Parts: sequence; structure tokens; C-alpha cells
Amino acid sequence: MKKLRIFGFLFVVILVMGVAGATRWKAVTTLNIDYDEDDYLRAAQQYTAIIRSGKLSGFLETNYRPEHPSFAKIVLGISLLSDPEKPLTPDHPTSAGPNQYLARDLLRTDRVTNAIFGIITAGLLALVNPLAGLLLAVHAWTIKYVSQIMLEAIPAFASLLCVFSYVLWKKKQQTRISGWLVTSAIFLGITAASKYLYGIVGIAILVDWWIDAAKAGGWKRTFRNILFWGLLGAAIFFLLNPYLWPDPVGRLNESILYHSAYAQGASEVENAQFPIWQQFVWLSTSPLMWQADAFYFSIDPIIAILAALGLVTTWQKHRVYALWLIIALFFLLIWPTKWPQYLVTLSAPLCLSASEGINTILIAPIRNWILRIKGRKNTKVARQKSEFRQALPWLIPGLISFAIFTLVPLFYQLAVSLTDFNSVSIKDGLNGGIWREVWGGITGQIEVAAQNFPYRSKEVHYLGLSNFKPVFDYLSEQMVLFINILWTVLSVALQTLLGLITALILWQRGVKLKRAWQSLFILPWAIPEMIGALMWVNIFAPEIGWLSLAAQKYGGGMPFSFLLGWENSPSMWLAILLISGVWYGFPFMMLAATAGLKMMPKESFDAAQIDGANALQTFKYITWPLLYPLLIPAIIIRGIFAFNQFYLFQAFQIGTGTLATLSYNFFNPSGFFINGQFAVSAVINIITVVILIGFVILFNRWSKADQGVTYA
Amino acid sequence: MRKYLWVRQILSQLFLIIVGIYVILPIWGMLRLAFDGSLLSRPTEFRFFPKVFSLGPLFSVLDRPYQSVHFATLLKNSLVVSLGAALLALVLGASLAYAFARFHFPGRKPGLFILLLTAVIPPIAFATPLYIVLSILQIRTSLLGLTIVYAVFAIPFCIWNMRAAFQSVPRELEEAAFLDGAGYLSTFRYVTLPLALPSIAIAALISFLMAYSEFAIGWLFVDKAQTVTLSMAIYAMVQSGNAQPWSILGSLVVIMSIPVIVIFAIFQRTLLERMLFGALDS
Repeated sequence: MKKLRIFGFLFVVILVMGVAGATRWKAVTTLNIDYDEDDYLRAAQQYTAIIRSGKLSGFLETNYRPEHPSFAKIVLGISLLSDPEKPLTPDHPTSAGPNQYLARDLLRTDRVTNAIFGIITAGLLALVNPLAGLLLAVHAWTIKYVSQIMLEAIPAFASLLCVFSYVLWKKKQQTRISGWLVTSAIFLGITAASKYLYGIVGIAILVDWWIDAAKAGGWKRTFRNILFWGLLGAAIFFLLNPYLWPDPVGRLNESILYHSAYAQGASEVENAQFPIWQQFVWLSTSPLMWQADAFYFSIDPIIAILAALGLVTTWQKHRVYALWLIIALFFLLIWPTKWPQYLVTLSAPLCLSASEGINTILIAPIRNWILRIKGRKNTKVARQKSEFRQALPWLIPGLISFAIFTLVPLFYQLAVSLTDFNSVSIKDGLNGGIWREVWGGITGQIEVAAQNFPYRSKEVHYLGLSNFKPVFDYLSEQMVLFINILWTVLSVALQTLLGLITALILWQRGVKLKRAWQSLFILPWAIPEMIGALMWVNIFAPEIGWLSLAAQKYGGGMPFSFLLGWENSPSMWLAILLISGVWYGFPFMMLAATAGLKMMPKESFDAAQIDGANALQTFKYITWPLLYPLLIPAIIIRGIFAFNQFYLFQAFQIGTGTLATLSYNFFNPSGFFINGQFAVSAVINIITVVILIGFVILFNRWSKADQGVTYA
Repeated sequence: MRKYLWVRQILSQLFLIIVGIYVILPIWGMLRLAFDGSLLSRPTEFRFFPKVFSLGPLFSVLDRPYQSVHFATLLKNSLVVSLGAALLALVLGASLAYAFARFHFPGRKPGLFILLLTAVIPPIAFATPLYIVLSILQIRTSLLGLTIVYAVFAIPFCIWNMRAAFQSVPRELEEAAFLDGAGYLSTFRYVTLPLALPSIAIAALISFLMAYSEFAIGWLFVDKAQTVTLSMAIYAMVQSGNAQPWSILGSLVVIMSIPVIVIFAIFQRTLLERMLFGALDS
């Protein structure tokens, strides 16, 4: 039985590698030549020439693009040995466009070498978690950059193996130095010797180690192990980097200085003008926008969302991977250069976290549900049965009206989302065209039609699920999903912060005018959302708003004048919307926090005071632990509101807004946008509903609202 | 120690003043517009107070604010639609709410989940199919159609709230009524319903407010000035730009918001609880 399971597991791993092979092969053969590929091919060719000539001392002086260490380039050079010799690729500056005249066979060989490492990486991750391996196998950004002549595939593999062996070592012999620790150290060295940035895993491992040691004690032994691991890693790094041997300090220094100068001065970095959060934008899009034919499909944005959902579970189950993800994200956030290939540094933990996300929101609830059904006691079933008969007279009329007014519209929506229904085909649709097409399509009588977006045909056509892809591409290209989530997170965070601080200040003993302040602060909550939005438009509207008028009168030196011209910069309009959005939302959070504070037992505060705790300690150890279980449902509710926020974006009319705004504007038959696209609007709504399911699951978990024991 | 308390008081008040300014500023901006009698179109210069203080705009709003439609018509439309939607949501939701509150039956938990989900789905997701269905029924552009649309937005939330209301009625009271020989329906009618009525009223109030302040989606369903509601009139005015003095817009906003603000001020705590879907209890 055990053997069978092992075989099954191996089979799954091989399957994952097969999928990874298929996706990477397609990318290897179809991807256009990218920036930098000529550089690293040239570097590889130089090493090939050295090996062929037999003058191995050449290794000491050769490292084209010395800002990156040489090991990965040497590997690429070795793999070129079997190919016939070709003239050396010419030297171009880093800012030059992609060199389209590379030797094809060499290009192919080195791409394949990289891709093989990419496939093994996916297989390795599948050993940790098969689902995670599968996600990595189809993660489009990873596919792109491990299938080109880049320096990503080898360090990505080595860094994963480094963590992998560290985890195995931790599981088996926590204290002694063993083979797995040596392996981990060796691959740490290989990682750093391939590309410095990937050395982030080292930091993640160190933090993990430190957390363990802080919990368990035994610093001396831990320190010895860390020292051994770090020194061995450094030695391997040095060993695999022959270019450093003649002048270690000088050349290392040189390459580090290069990076800081590059980030600040290079023309291609400056021209790109990426905002600070650009890496999150990359995460929420996919390389399909550049070359769709190189990939079968892309679910990168979904993987990113799932990863966010699964981060907590990942922390509990695989802490070091969670640390890896968090530290790498933080590093990419502050690192001034924002190339998308840097995502490969974290794609392995990202996919692991995403698989935990799937587990949390999908697999675990289903498993629990099945267990609950199995474990149900007979008496309960009997009671339910008897009550079922009593409930029937109430249920039947209730269900009928609920179905007609709520469920049917949603199902209708689902049907519309499978067609190309739009304002031109409205006549056909009203005459039953939607049912005809959807029924025919599902039963296979009607072929999936090919329609181009925006849809303008006179008759309804069945498009099936192929409708979702262009909409999804649109959403990720326009960054709607990303902005929507960024907006939700930021606005709720700020609302909570302001609401909580206000509530705490008002809660202090002896604050004057308590009631007056509270009644004043409730105002934004009581004002209908649309009116509030208009009030803020009245202040911020370009040219005619209060702010602009004040600037005309008092000149540019007045306070808040830096907010002028916000409509030209994405970061600024987000700030303006946040100012307005927080205004709506913070009173609700304040009230929720106040209600929570009132429920707290007075005794614990008295006890704290007697024990001599200061304000900060009281908050940290008493107020917050008691308050946050009450606050989290409020935060989730505000999160849902912010996610669905409609009027604010509609009133300001900037960007594409949230999913709800976009859906409205796609739908509106007389709008100025791409109007009357009923089907597209339906698809967006379905996506919204799916995301909201996640919110509601979260809410249920935190509030136990589904238990039926709510407020009396 | 006393000195320290004073510092704390001053710092707290300072913080509260800053937040207060943040809260008041946009409201003041609108009030200033509402009472400025000098405006002919959009404001052209910065003023903190109205140039000419006047109640004129307020009165002209009460006459005919939008496209020669009387204020009374707008208000009537708003009230008909909002009250109708609230009533419809209550009637349609009551029996399901009672079933969920009182009985255990198979599928109850998934049912509650779906209920909660439908309560948080944005209204636009319901509007699409309703637009088509109501077009087929040829009542899309009538007040009845609008009432149905707003009722649909409110039903899930209403059911959720009424369920809580029914749950708060002690089961023992109902059982006592049974023992005295009352049937299901008369128990509901004479025992449960009267006791739950205050909470149900809150559910109705929230449904009313939803419909009363909604404009954008209703805008899709309206094609003539005679069926426009108050909040839609505001939106229409914003879209028409500078055709009218902005003081009219401001006045309409003030008039429309005052009843809502009063309701929120009175029912603060209850409304908060309802909007949290009962999560505050524990």
C-alpha cells in the first residue's frame, strides 16, 4: 500500500514535469528574442571558446556583464559545447533593443538548457506539493523567463533546492549537521553564484532559523549550524565564481556598485517610469499581453490572488516558504529596478501559497462538509426531518419568491455570460435568442461562434467559456482587477486605522465633548454615498473644484496645492479617491470599534492599571486581543463595500474604476464607453460574484453568522 | 500627573479637530453652494462663505428643480418607489426569513450562505437580467418596474435581517400559543409578528434608504422625466453640467440628505448592527 502511494506520488510529479515540459517547449520555440538574450549568449560563447581552446586560465578574466556572477553563464557555455562554433555575438549596450540576428541553433540550445532547469524546478516543487508544482508549470511569467537565455532558471532551481533541503534537514535532525544541511549550503552557494538577487532565500532561511531558535532556545548549537551553513555557502559561491578569484573584494565591490548605479541612472530604467508597486502590477497581469501565442493560457492573476488567500496557511504549514515570499515581495517593492523577470525569484513560494489558497477556499470546505455529513447523528437527522415538515409551508412561498427575484436573475446572468448578447442583438435576445443559443451550445448542437470584441452582431451567438478569456485579458491589461484589489486593501486599511484611533481617543476617560464629536463624525456614514462622492468632486474637480479655484486665487504656494493636477498621475488619483473613500468608511469602523470597546470587561483594565502597565502595553496585551475578533467582521464588511464601490468611481469618472463601475459602463446602452455590451458586463459580474464568495467564506469563519446564533 | 492629563486632553482635542475639519469640509463646500444666491452657473471664484446668502435656491428647488418637473412629483416618485420596494421586499422575504429563523431543515446552512452572498452582490449584477426581463414584460420604464428593481436589490438583505428579528422572539412564547390552541398562521400573526415588528421596521427602513438614495442603476431603467426620482434628478443635474446654477444642485442635495441623516442619527446603533449582519454579537 505504501509503495503504491509512493508510485502514485512519483507519477503525479512526472505528470507535473510533463506539463511543465509542454508549456516551456512551446515558449522555447515561439518566444521572440528578448532584451538581454544576446548579452548572455555572448557570455556563454566566450566560456565555450575558453573550454575549447583549453586555456582554462581564461575563466579568471572572463565575465561578460560582470554585474552578474559567472556560474550560470558558465553552465550555458558548457551546454553550447556540442554545437558547432559560431561567430561571437556582438557587444551591445544594455539599453539596445533585442538583437534579432542571433545564431538560431545556439539560441535554441541555451534556451532548452534553461528550460530543463525550469522543468526540474516545477518537479521539485511538486514534491513539496503537487498542486503547487502544477501551478508553477503553468505560471506564464515563470515560463517566459526560464525559457529564454536569461540568468533566471538556474538560480530559481538552486534556491528552491536550497530551501527544500533545509526543510528536510529541519524535519529529520534539527540539531546535528547532516547531508541535507550540506546540500542546502551548497545550493545556497550555487544560487548566489548564479544571480545575486536570488540570495533572498538565504535571508528567509535565516529568519526561519532565528524564529525556531527563539522558540526552542539552544542558541549555541544554532549559531554553530548557521555559521557552518553560511561559511560553506560562501565558499561554494567563491569556488563557482572563478572571475572573483584574482581580486575578490574589488570585483565583488564593482558589481554591487554597478547595480546601484544601474538602478538610478540607466536610461532604460528611467524611461520605463514604473511606479513603486509595479511588481504587483506584473503579478496581476501576464506576459500574454506581449506575445500571446507563446503560451497555452495564463492564470497568473488568479495565482496571485490565491497566493494572497493562502499566505496564512502557508505560514502555518511551510513557514520558510511564506517568509521567502514575503521577504522577496518586500525586497522587490523597495528595489528601484522593476523588471518583470525578478518575479521568478518568488514564483516557487508564490505557487505554493496559491495551492494552499485553493486548499483553503475550495478543498478544505468541501472535505469538512463531507465529514460533517458522514458524522451526522441520526437523532439530528430525525429532528431535522420533523422540522422540515413544519418548515415546508413557510419555505415553499419563500423559496419561490426568492428564486424568482434573486436566483433566476443570477442564473440568467450566467446564461448571458456565455453569449455575445449586446444592445444591437437585443431584439433577438428578448425573443428567446439567449435560451436558444445557450441550450444549443451546452447540448452541443451549436458550434462556438467566433466573435470579435466589442460585440456588435444582430443575433445572439453562443460563445461558451471562450467569452471569459478576452474579458479576463482586458481586465488584466487595464489593471482593473489589480486596481480594484489595491483600492480595497488600501482604503479599508486606512479606514480601519483612522476609525480605530478616533474610537480609542474618544474612549479615553475624561475627554471633553465626547458626544458632540461622535455625532459629528457619524455624518459621512449617514450621507448617501452618491452625495458624498459629489461633495468630494465639488472639492477636487479640475478647474471648477474648490481646490482649483483656491489655487487661482491664492497661487501655488497655498497648502494642499501639491494635490493639484492629480488627474494626470495614477498614484495621485488613487490618493484623491482614498481621501474621499476613507471619509465615507471611517465612521463605520469607528462605531464598530466603539461598540467593541464598550463590551470589554472593565476588570481587566483595572488589573492592568494596578500592575502598572503603560498605555501601550495595555493596548497591546488587553485592548487589541479583545477588540480584533469584533473588528474583523467589520473590516470584511467594509472590504466588501470597498470592493463593490461604485458611486465614488462613477462620480469622479477616472480610470476604469472597480469591477462594478466597469460592469455598469459596459452595460449602459447609452453610455460613452464601449456601451451596450450586456454579455461582457455579465462576465464581469460573474467574476465579481466568485470573488465575493471568498469574502463571504472569510466573513463566516470570523463571525459564525452561519451558525444561526446571531444577535438577539 | 495632572499636568500630564492636560497635555493628553489638548492633544486629543487637537486630533479630533483635525478629523472634524476633514469630516466637515466637503459638507461645507456643498452647503456654501446651496445658500449662495449669486451663482448663475458653476462657481468661478473661490469663496469660503456664500457671496450673497439667500434661501432662494432652496425655494426654487421646492418649485421645479428638474426639467420642469415639480418637486412634488420627484418626491412622490421617490416615495412611491422606495416605500413600494421596502414593502415588497418585506412581504416577499417574510416567509423565508421565518423558516430560516425557526426551523432546522436539510440544506439550511448552504441556504444561509447563499443568502449572505446574494446580500453582498453589487446591485449592478442584478440589474442586467432585470433590464431584459422587465423589457420583455414591457414595464421597464414604469415606476412599477423601478420598484421591482429596487425590491430585488433589497430582498436578500431584508430576509437576513428579518430572520434575526424572528429569532429574537422567544420560542417558548410560540409554544405557549400552540398549547392554547392557536394554529401556525395565527401564532405568527398574533405572537411572533407583533414582537418582531420593531426589528422588521429597521429592515424596512434600510431597504427604503437603499432605494431612496440609488440613482445610477435606476437611471438605466428610466426614459422620461415624469418617472425620475429625487436622487436621479441630482445625477441628471450633474451630467447636464452648467446649464443651471450650482446652488440648485446644492439645495437639492441638502433637501434630499436631511431625512436620511436624521434617520441615521436616531437609529445609529441598530443600523450599525444590521449592517454588520449581526457579527457584533458575542
